Amino acid sequence: MTAPRPSEAPALEARGLVKSYGDKRVVDGLSLTLRSGSVLGLLGPNGAGKTTTLRMLYGFLEPEAGTICYGGRSFFDHRSETKRLIGVCTQEDTLDHDFSVRQNLEVYATYFRPRVENLARRVEELIERFQLGPFASHRVDALSGGYRQRLMLARALIHSPRVLFLDEPTTGLDPRARIDAWKLIDAVRSEGIAVILTTHYMDEAERLSDELVVLSEGKSIGEGKPGEVIGNLLGEHVVVVKGEARAVARTFAKERSLSSEDVLDELRLPVSARDLATLSERLNGVEFEIRKPNLEDLFLRLSEKKGPTS
Amino acid sequence: MSALGDLRAVFDWRSLAVLRRNNKVYLRNWRTAFFPPAMEPVVMFLSLGIGLGGFVSISGYGGVSYASYLAPGLMAYTAFTTPFFEGLYSAYVRMFYQKTWNGLLATQLEMRHIVWGEILWTGLRGAMNVIAVALVLLAFDLFGVIAIDTRFLFVAPPLAFVSGCAFGAFALIFTAIVPSIDHMNYPTFLVGIPLGLVSDTYFPIDPQHPALAMLADLNPIRHLARLYRALLLGHDSPGMHLLKLSVSTAVCLVVFSVLAHRQIRRRVLSE
Repeated sequence: MTAPRPSEAPALEARGLVKSYGDKRVVDGLSLTLRSGSVLGLLGPNGAGKTTTLRMLYGFLEPEAGTICYGGRSFFDHRSETKRLIGVCTQEDTLDHDFSVRQNLEVYATYFRPRVENLARRVEELIERFQLGPFASHRVDALSGGYRQRLMLARALIHSPRVLFLDEPTTGLDPRARIDAWKLIDAVRSEGIAVILTTHYMDEAERLSDELVVLSEGKSIGEGKPGEVIGNLLGEHVVVVKGEARAVARTFAKERSLSSEDVLDELRLPVSARDLATLSERLNGVEFEIRKPNLEDLFLRLSEKKGPTS
Repeated sequence: MSALGDLRAVFDWRSLAVLRRNNKVYLRNWRTAFFPPAMEPVVMFLSLGIGLGGFVSISGYGGVSYASYLAPGLMAYTAFTTPFFEGLYSAYVRMFYQKTWNGLLATQLEMRHIVWGEILWTGLRGAMNVIAVALVLLAFDLFGVIAIDTRFLFVAPPLAFVSGCAFGAFALIFTAIVPSIDHMNYPTFLVGIPLGLVSDTYFPIDPQHPALAMLADLNPIRHLARLYRALLLGHDSPGMHLLKLSVSTAVCLVVFSVLAHRQIRRRVLSE
């Protein structure tokens, strides 16, 4: 097998990443691949290692082991040039609150070499595209959460990166602002930029991700297209039972060593087609719902393994 | 991450990018950022030099008034306190509250550039405030309140910049290790202010015990005060003070910047 030419190489390829804090291994042998013009979702409960993974990939943290390549070139050997190709939208607000919206873009551009060409034009282009025009001269403090997130995204794109990292980009936004952010992310993907995204929102991961990597305790426990990942990890169906019949379903789950979730007054039980047939017989005469499993079910399963999340 | 690599990063464009960023913020808020801190040494000069100075005589300096004696010392003290507090409080706010450094680390900048950018900025801030003090001293000299050789005032800011970088690096070590901003009281009151007091700024200090004399020789503030005084009062040759200042500043800058890099990396990057 010959090595892929740079043009054919994935935008980002990481193999065997390891990171520990003290005795705790936060990321444990993680590998992932990201192609240009696609969105890779990193999904997992709190403490699964999503942010640590992202931070290793964009150079904030040093992995203890593993390799990271951008476009087929080692990140460790070509660190500065590679960082020129990366845009990062961090989970926390790292905007410069001393500056106006326009200055945030202008100053951020000075942290990259080669310099951003036609910077003034690029700044105006991003202000227009992210609809920041009315606030261009305002300080960041005057912006709502949604507009701050727009500015974070615009700032991450100021130097026209080829790979974009989005660490929980819509956390804390209202539904309207989230949908706006999704549209912007979708537009970024259509430009051929490779996007890697972490999120807690299941609908967001399903809508935006072309591929998913599901993390649990620093390890990948499933990867592929969202539907495939869910099917592989949970089974084909989820049975939702309410009321007295929950006891029947719970007993069935125990007998088959299946994992079930209590959500308010309902019990959710992911099952295979074969188990579904048997369970249906047991629930004879009781009303219950059968639906396809979704990422929320997966998330609940992972959270249950880990314990209560903060 | 080698210490040598950290030291070399001082000349990198990325360190200067951090310096430019901090300067841009400063220029945006210059009225509030410049006048209040620059007033402190002026008030000190008025109260101690002009006020208390009327009751004090100083020997061994050719009969100059206490106000004239104090003037160069206050410039040295300003060259120390401004970078020291900039490195303590302002850098801590950027690191911890504003998350400015986290934003910078998501670009082509590395931790070593941020640390050097901060060190250079503390030095520059010290030089700026020394200019303000120098202008006030110039005015007092013109009105005959003090008698100093004002031709040498122009060398004060560059000297303040270089030694200020060492003081700023010293402060950044504490910034990296204090658990919270409230704990800044320890370096402020137990290190900074006492160090300023034993530095020939307000009164001459010549320890007789060899160990204390050696400690005093390691203190760049003392040499800066003596050098400013030799230049402005002309009672002494500045050559030896310049040499001692150069050596102590170079040693402190190297040692403190290496420690600052290490501690900040440990704090921010968990390394």
